Amino acid sequence: MSSPPQEEGERLGRAFRQELAGPTPGGWQEALSGKPLETAPNGPDKLLHPRHWPGLGRIIGFFCFVALVAFAASAMINFGLRRIRTSDFGVSNRVMTGRVNAEIVISGSSRALTHYDCRVIQKISGHTAFNIGRNGSQTDMQLAYLKAYLAHNTQPRLVVHNLDLFSFLTSHEIYDPAQYLPYLDQEAIYAGVRRVYPEAWKWKYLPLYGYLVEDMRFTWILGLKGFVGYQPKEDHFLGFLPRHTPWTGDFEKYRQNNPNGVGFEIEPQGIRDLEELARVCRDQGIQVLFVYSPEYSEMQALERNRGEVFAKFREIAERFQVPLWDYSDSPICQSRGNFYNSQHLNADGAEAFSADLAKRLVESGLLSPTKAGTK
Amino acid sequence: MLFNSLEFAVFFPLVVGIYFLLPQRHRVLWLLVSSCVFYMAFIPVYIFILFVTILIDYVAGIYLERVHGKARAWLLWMSIISTCAVLFVFKYFGFFTSNINGLAGLLGLHPPMQVLKIILPIGLSFHTFQSLSYVVEVYRGKQKAEPHFITYATYVMFFPQLVAGPIERPQHLLHQFWEHHVFDYERVTSGLKRMAWGLFKKLVVADRLALYVNDVYAAPKNFNGLQLTLATVFFAYQIYCDFSGYSDIAIGTARVLGFRLMENFDTPYYSRSISEFWHRWHISLSTWFRDYVYISMGGSRVVKSRWFFNLMVTFAVSGLWHGANWTYVIWGALNGFYLVMGVATKGLRDRAFGLVGLNEETLLRKATMVGTTFVLTCIGWIIFRAKTIADAWYVMTHFASGWDFGRIGTEQFLLRQLPAAVAGIMVLEIGQLLQGKVSIPSVLGRLPMTPRWALYASFVMAVLMFGIYRKTQFIYFQF
Repeated sequence: MSSPPQEEGERLGRAFRQELAGPTPGGWQEALSGKPLETAPNGPDKLLHPRHWPGLGRIIGFFCFVALVAFAASAMINFGLRRIRTSDFGVSNRVMTGRVNAEIVISGSSRALTHYDCRVIQKISGHTAFNIGRNGSQTDMQLAYLKAYLAHNTQPRLVVHNLDLFSFLTSHEIYDPAQYLPYLDQEAIYAGVRRVYPEAWKWKYLPLYGYLVEDMRFTWILGLKGFVGYQPKEDHFLGFLPRHTPWTGDFEKYRQNNPNGVGFEIEPQGIRDLEELARVCRDQGIQVLFVYSPEYSEMQALERNRGEVFAKFREIAERFQVPLWDYSDSPICQSRGNFYNSQHLNADGAEAFSADLAKRLVESGLLSPTKAGTK
Repeated sequence: MLFNSLEFAVFFPLVVGIYFLLPQRHRVLWLLVSSCVFYMAFIPVYIFILFVTILIDYVAGIYLERVHGKARAWLLWMSIISTCAVLFVFKYFGFFTSNINGLAGLLGLHPPMQVLKIILPIGLSFHTFQSLSYVVEVYRGKQKAEPHFITYATYVMFFPQLVAGPIERPQHLLHQFWEHHVFDYERVTSGLKRMAWGLFKKLVVADRLALYVNDVYAAPKNFNGLQLTLATVFFAYQIYCDFSGYSDIAIGTARVLGFRLMENFDTPYYSRSISEFWHRWHISLSTWFRDYVYISMGGSRVVKSRWFFNLMVTFAVSGLWHGANWTYVIWGALNGFYLVMGVATKGLRDRAFGLVGLNEETLLRKATMVGTTFVLTCIGWIIFRAKTIADAWYVMTHFASGWDFGRIGTEQFLLRQLPAAVAGIMVLEIGQLLQGKVSIPSVLGRLPMTPRWALYASFVMAVLMFGIYRKTQFIYFQF
């Protein structure tokens, strides 16, 4: 049985069919309706009357309510993630709230994150150290994160920037976007993310968008848990993430898949990013040190354009008067016992490397007051 | 434009709002313009292909009413052949040429044809079939030719069902463009609820399961028997939720605007036979093939061998409709074979059940039949989903080997996603089980506004929070 609005609709429909069909009798429209046709439908002026939109207010109200809940949930998640004091978010929260203020800052990719044990560096050098290496990041995002660090913390004496063979590649996607989502109010982070992903304005301005569309790890659950005070297990130590993992065997598969070795692209924008990193530090009077941390020796043999990439590193280092320490020939690189894959040191390897680096830092005089600037 | 996109979230309220504000005489044109915008969001230039098929069948419809005798049949065939030619060029030409070349290679000849790689216009098979049903119905005298080009074009292009159906019949849909639809709160909210259920199926269930299925079926040899089994069951749910979810959104979208689209799915995995399954799966396509292919060939009113032949041909063609690949043809033929075997062994099976004391209504018999049908369907899905026949064979022959409960996850589908995937399937099943017994909307409708809104909002938030929002197309778009 039809409801009253449907009946009205059918009546108006019949009238309209008549209007279109004109006076010709026996048209198919008439056959369709089966009844004599009636008056013309209401004009648009009448349609604007609320009588013609029964319940529209309720529907709009409901969606406003859902939008409100989404805004609230988004704010809760951001707030929750920014409350976390441990793990990766704990590191970022210390950085973004200016609670690090280290004398030595380590920047770079996951290789920086897992290679530089700041506890060892602090102990040997006698200077405070903190690791801000980002998993899955390229120089562009590393630069963005370093800028955010410098905006909130006192100026370090030394920035140790870890180099990778892919340092001249730009980001084509953001790895684990959720790690940046609570910090999009930071100009440097937002600019960095937007350069990679121009539609990142949606992450910032549409409630929940980033967490739901870009993040596959349910980070929003961690945010809600953080909101009620949950702290994840601590796995970062002064920003350093030790990996107590034995050799995984991934390298063997990698070598099998790439019997002729691999080449690494040198993108002009990637060069500019590394130059900007050096320039930003130089402009603020911060000493920079480029370090190519240990890489498993058998992997080095697979890298076809290693010489070309290193030539570019040296050229930039000379131009900006930045020392470049290459650990490619370090004895650490010879033993699989120091690595869990070809690119990453395990905790033991990281300890050995950090100790060596710290001693060298002390000997080099790079940390002496005359070499370093202060804010 | 995808239903599960931000663009559609802006597009749809605009279309609806303006639709109800416009006077009736402009509404169909508005729907046509909106449908063009919707379609052109994919590949704009392909609108011209659609225009060509619309024009061919519109003109054919008009003239089919004017001519008589043999000329009428000629006109019908001309229209069918020209419409199908478009489908052939864009969908099957590459398949055809590569097979010809392959055959030539086998005979030691030089490949005679150049293989063209053309991007398939989205939803081509759907609107082609809808167009074809119109000319056939006009020819059969069951439908008057539509004199207004705009109305006919809107019938073919109506955006809710343009790219993945349901494939409507003119008798059911065309006249609705002449009706005046008012803004009816009950109907609009009912449409919105249907859309929400469809989005749940698509975003929460189908797209999450797709992460697993895509990983496993990309390289089945890298996975153990447990993972192959899980991926196959997950694919059964994925394709159901993907496609029926699309149909739910399409039906809901149309309902908000005041249109009634036909139902396309009726809990197909609860079927007790393959025959029943095909009465409940993609109903608009099954009935299309029944009405225009199977019955035209004589259906079941012929000798048994011819009947079986009709079934096999209908299902093989239906397989080919799904895609230009032998896996689809074999999948279709397998379903035809299932049906033939179902008819041929019915007496034997009834006697076997009778011997163990299981009559038609026994729960155990029903469960056995539902389970068997599901397993047979899953075997079909393996062929449907696998990239090659060799991959399909590998999956089928390695189900039982090397089960490792310590290795369930895949690269994209981390183990932490499993609870969300299983919970999604459970909610789906509970929803479907309740569907036949209680009317959830009417139960909810009786609640006071505060708890009702809280429940609706919780559901919407759950879909939002647990959905996958990568730009994944609906599976059936490619057909």
